[in-house]
Amino acid sequence: MRAGPSQEDIRRHNLGALLRHVHLGGPISRAELTSRMGLNRSTIMALTSDLTAAGLVREELPRETGRAGRPSLVVRPESARVYVFAFDVGPDRLAAARVGLGGLILDRREAVRERGAFELAELTAVLAGFARQMRRKAAADAVCVGAAAAVSGGVRKDDGVVRFGPNLKAEEVPFGEELARRLGLGLPVSVGNDANLGALAEHSRGVGAAVRDLVYLHGDVGIGGGIISGGHLIGGHEGYGGEVGHMVVNPGGRACGCGSHGCLEAEVGERALLESAGRYGGHQGRDSVRAVVEAADRGDIVAQEALKRVGDWLGLGVANLVNIFNPEMVIFGGMLRDIYLGAAAQVRSRLALHAMAPQRERLRLRTSSLGDAATLVGAAELAFANVLSDPLEVLARAHA
Amino acid sequence: MTPLLELRGIDKSFGPVQVLHDVGLSAYAGEVTALVGDNGAGKSTLVKCVGGIYPVDAGQLLFDGREVHVHSPRDAGELGIEIVYQDLALCDNLDIVQNMFLGRERKNGLLLDEDSMEELAERTLSELSVRTVKSIRQQVSSLSGGQRQTVAIAKAVLWNSKVVILDEPTAALGVAQTAQVLELVRRLADTGLAVVLISHNMNDVFAVSDRIAALYLGRMAAQVRTADVTHAQVVELITSGRSGDLGLKNGVTP
Repeated sequence: MRAGPSQEDIRRHNLGALLRHVHLGGPISRAELTSRMGLNRSTIMALTSDLTAAGLVREELPRETGRAGRPSLVVRPESARVYVFAFDVGPDRLAAARVGLGGLILDRREAVRERGAFELAELTAVLAGFARQMRRKAAADAVCVGAAAAVSGGVRKDDGVVRFGPNLKAEEVPFGEELARRLGLGLPVSVGNDANLGALAEHSRGVGAAVRDLVYLHGDVGIGGGIISGGHLIGGHEGYGGEVGHMVVNPGGRACGCGSHGCLEAEVGERALLESAGRYGGHQGRDSVRAVVEAADRGDIVAQEALKRVGDWLGLGVANLVNIFNPEMVIFGGMLRDIYLGAAAQVRSRLALHAMAPQRERLRLRTSSLGDAATLVGAAELAFANVLSDPLEVLARAHA
Repeated sequence: MTPLLELRGIDKSFGPVQVLHDVGLSAYAGEVTALVGDNGAGKSTLVKCVGGIYPVDAGQLLFDGREVHVHSPRDAGELGIEIVYQDLALCDNLDIVQNMFLGRERKNGLLLDEDSMEELAERTLSELSVRTVKSIRQQVSSLSGGQRQTVAIAKAVLWNSKVVILDEPTAALGVAQTAQVLELVRRLADTGLAVVLISHNMNDVFAVSDRIAALYLGRMAAQVRTADVTHAQVVELITSGRSGDLGLKNGVTP
């Protein structure tokens, strides 16, 4: 039998917990940390001085307290000094960001990706190039403590291999390994499904902060999803969980890129909308989706019908998810923000018809508050995971 | 849960024409209540009664559970009820800060306290996550329709208001600006305000509301939770005053 946690384990855990408070909640006074973490003042003082010595946080006098007595020091994340690289590979764009501790996006690069074959070498070269440019602009004493990428596809959690990504035309691609090699930072690159990471982002910094049970739906070319239950992302046995886009809502319906028929993605995705609106074959991408919503708003009957149809299927899919997971909030991100706002009457009518009363009563439907940055912010959170679980060790390695 | 704003049995006539018959309405903190109805159903009249522009002939207004009397827009403002009318009532020749504090300027001795007004305006806009406005010293005439709506809403929120009533805030806006205003409406409620949204657009209503109150020919046909009804039911309530078990019975509120 394993012995209980050692003193060192407890200290490491507390350091991580304190850093997480500062990272997610922003500047916070020592007094506040004492009450939130339920530790005594001298412990908090010892922990913050360790983190300060390591250069992860700094302590300052608050500007004004408006109260009598000696003010409690405010602990701030060292956003400019401690950072991670976050990457996002979507069907239409490649994005990279340098994100400081505390979640501050310090620098950002983006390129358009042509839809076509998944060229691993070319793609990782572009992303690594972005990282190099951003690194040159960082302060001399800044340290990179992690890197992670969001990819539109199914990713094996153990090794960052993209197993399937029909909308990227990727199959069995060792993406994490190759990007880490190109970056040459001596750091592994964690890889996650973009919608899973979007869920994580909205849960930690977006509209779903403080919500422990949520479903995030991400619309791009396809439909992805991330489910957070009891505060934890449902990744499944090997990390492929949350593929709500491939939930079958219409057996015998439209063909899906995954090889099946009538998946939510096949009925709600970009192609379904454009085809029903009689616009398939022309422009693609987010703007083409917006164009349909705009045409519907102007009174174009074909576009209105297409949007209604897609809203109906979306509502059916959401009703199923609501029945199964009983989330407090469902968040529509990516192009689903536009679809939801343009077809909310259909979506919620379906919910009223198909979701069970106890599950739907207190359900809140929201649009993403991070918008296009959601997947990138989620990747940054994944990249910070190591330093938050063992702050001193990760920093020591980064300096070595 | 006690409604933050509750109307009971409101009657209102203009001369021989009775516009509102025994109307009740409840709005709750943290929720968006959509007020829907055809043209002439009495939505705007009802709102003007709440805002102290029209006196009511009969009925009660309860604020946070206790009865209050509103005889003027100033009374409404003092209770924490702000109304954003369709015409927005912004002054084109003034900048954003001047508009937000119009008639209620902060003074520092004899002078206007520009610094504190600017700071408060800035903070209000950022708390509402409004990022579309470049400078708060911009003249209102240079703003787009969506930005003007945003300023009008921020102006209403600035005064520690508890109830915000919005009359057709998306009526003249394009899709992108409508989306931003809807998200703003939702955020207002999520910060704890009671929001009443008057709208003709069923998508807007379903996108952000928690409850729907449908007026039909001056009577409240039904107040329902948005989660419990379909688009078709709400359209029926608006056009005929009833839908299945919901709505008026023999033309009167059951």
